[in-house]
Amino acid sequence: MSGGAGIEGADFLLQARGRSAELGAWVVGVAFGREGRVCAFGLGDGTVRLAAPGAPAEEWRSVAAHPAGACLALCADVRDGALSGGDDGRLVRIAPDGTAEELARYGSRWVEHVAAHESGVRAAAVGRTVHLLDAAGRALKSLAHPSSVGGVAFDARGKRVAASHYNGCSLWFVAAKEDKPRLLEWKGSHGAIAISPDGTHVVTAMQENALHGWRLADGQHMRMSGYPAKTKSLCFTARGRWLATSGAESVVLWPFFGGGPMGKAPTELAGGDGVPCTAVACHPQQEVVAAGFADGLVAIAEIASGRVLPVAAPGRGPVSALAWNAAGTALAFGTETGFAGLVDLSKR
Amino acid sequence: MSDPTNAPGPRAQIPVTVLTGYLGAGKTTLLNRILTENHGRRFAVVINEFGELGVDNDLVVDADEEVFEMNNGCICCTVRGDLIRIIGGLMKRRDRFDGIIVETTGLADPAPVAQTFFADEDVRRATKLDAIVTVVDARHLPARLADSPEAEEQIAFADIVVLNKMDLVTPEEAAEVERRIRAINPWAEIRRAVRAAVPIESVIGRDAFSLERILEREPEFLAEGNEHEHDSDVVSVSLEVERPLDPERFNAWITQLLATKGQDLLRTKGILHYAGEDRRFAFQAVHMLADGDFIGPWREGEPRRSRIVFIGRDLNRPALRRGFEACQAEAPAAAGTDRT
Ligand SMILES: [Zn+2]
Repeated sequence: MSGGAGIEGADFLLQARGRSAELGAWVVGVAFGREGRVCAFGLGDGTVRLAAPGAPAEEWRSVAAHPAGACLALCADVRDGALSGGDDGRLVRIAPDGTAEELARYGSRWVEHVAAHESGVRAAAVGRTVHLLDAAGRALKSLAHPSSVGGVAFDARGKRVAASHYNGCSLWFVAAKEDKPRLLEWKGSHGAIAISPDGTHVVTAMQENALHGWRLADGQHMRMSGYPAKTKSLCFTARGRWLATSGAESVVLWPFFGGGPMGKAPTELAGGDGVPCTAVACHPQQEVVAAGFADGLVAIAEIASGRVLPVAAPGRGPVSALAWNAAGTALAFGTETGFAGLVDLSKR
Repeated sequence: MSDPTNAPGPRAQIPVTVLTGYLGAGKTTLLNRILTENHGRRFAVVINEFGELGVDNDLVVDADEEVFEMNNGCICCTVRGDLIRIIGGLMKRRDRFDGIIVETTGLADPAPVAQTFFADEDVRRATKLDAIVTVVDARHLPARLADSPEAEEQIAFADIVVLNKMDLVTPEEAAEVERRIRAINPWAEIRRAVRAAVPIESVIGRDAFSLERILEREPEFLAEGNEHEHDSDVVSVSLEVERPLDPERFNAWITQLLATKGQDLLRTKGILHYAGEDRRFAFQAVHMLADGDFIGPWREGEPRRSRIVFIGRDLNRPALRRGFEACQAEAPAAAGTDRT
């Protein structure tokens, strides 16, 4: 990795400008509230821990979001706080003040994926169904799929929602009078999903250590393969020029400009240590990507220069959750073994 | 700080027991026995939504049994997509249980479940298949074998067969049912039971799927003539050769065989003696998905020879024998690696 940064050096930012904690359970997801006051870590023990990005001295609070189960998915809620799905079948909103409010209960089925858009729509994937709820928590509609849903994403405007499943993915209009999806087909099992910021492409991660993409204008297929492991995390950079992905021993970035990614080789960043990348998060404004690795290393990389800045040293378990705040001034991460960190990256 | 040795090591794999068996055979009775008996172990139970009886357990997951083809265009290369997701979810709370039990529907083909543990990297890392336990109804098994391929497959895949409802058959009927089971699967350990009452240790924590255990579970080899009694589609062929094998030849042969005949080959297991190698090589496959590794050295005084058993349909015994024999090394092992 970047020259001379030893393990002590690799932990400098976390030590000097961050706060960390051993939380004792798998960190399933992390998200900053859109209001900017909380950072929420969703855990395998069913709690959501709340940290205050602006006040590093403040104790992290624990919220019993899923007292009888585990948190399986977490995202920023529509306006503030976080949205958590659990294996207790509940969709729970965590307000910035730490209040947990049950928005929906789906019986014995797991809420495996959640998404929310600031326009006021929420999605919860339960088995084969994606339930949409409005900002007040009222059920809008339930969208049925041919098999269990592997991932859910809204487009940048919150007008469409995409759900991956076996043999492809379905693209729905949130406000459609009649719910009929555009089915994007490709044989195999599809998981993590992303829609490009300009709404022109949908990309999924597949069971077979490859990505599949569709150009919506003409249905053109894109295969992005060569990964040694399954991609579990993928995101587009702010203006959609690059798709950053986990699953290789570097951050693999596919160019979505100049005719790419078809026929183009991806760019690789922060590689060379022989350790798989397990999580990526793109900076909300700049062409910068944060990455977490299987050894616990967290780093940020500038795409244009290839420069890598370590944020947290290896040794605390595979990174399983990673997120920027909306301003791009703070980064939070968590690991499978329950380590969590929150780092202030604002200019001082 | 930051001593790399402080890094959390790889955590122990969670053992998974797969319970198969026809509706009414007593599968759920066995499951409830395992769960309620006071053994101090906690299980996460994955059941299908059409289970026969309620299951009394803290951690029960309803599954849809979504069988997915892997993307190689082959119809036998299937996995349980739901199981991949469920195991991923369960691992986020692994402190709450010591083992996982997966109950399949009565009509389920066990191959996709077994193959899930070969094919998915995350499942492989987090769990290990402990044993496939098939519960059969001693009285109704002959009829089931006659009318459904799944009943044969469930026996073919079994590490342990619980021969249930023994109170409802005569000793002669019991002997005949055992003979039928052995004809399909000479490895299966048969446990006779009434109301699914078997010692929990006989079905849980067996490590029956591990390569190391293949050898210990000596198949009950059939007399050759038995294989020609076609009272079942599924038969087994066991082969043995004396001369050490050439690893490259064996690899080439088995790869080709699994690729072309894998759909018919339900399970393959072997203990191999490679030329110039002091350790035993254990090999197993479920359809086309194979796994193999060196295990401990040959025991003192143990004859060093290679054995392989195939369980499947339409097995061409002479062709298999010729193929296996041709894997033998030409001459004694090369100088330098030779044992004297
Ligand atoms: Zn196959």
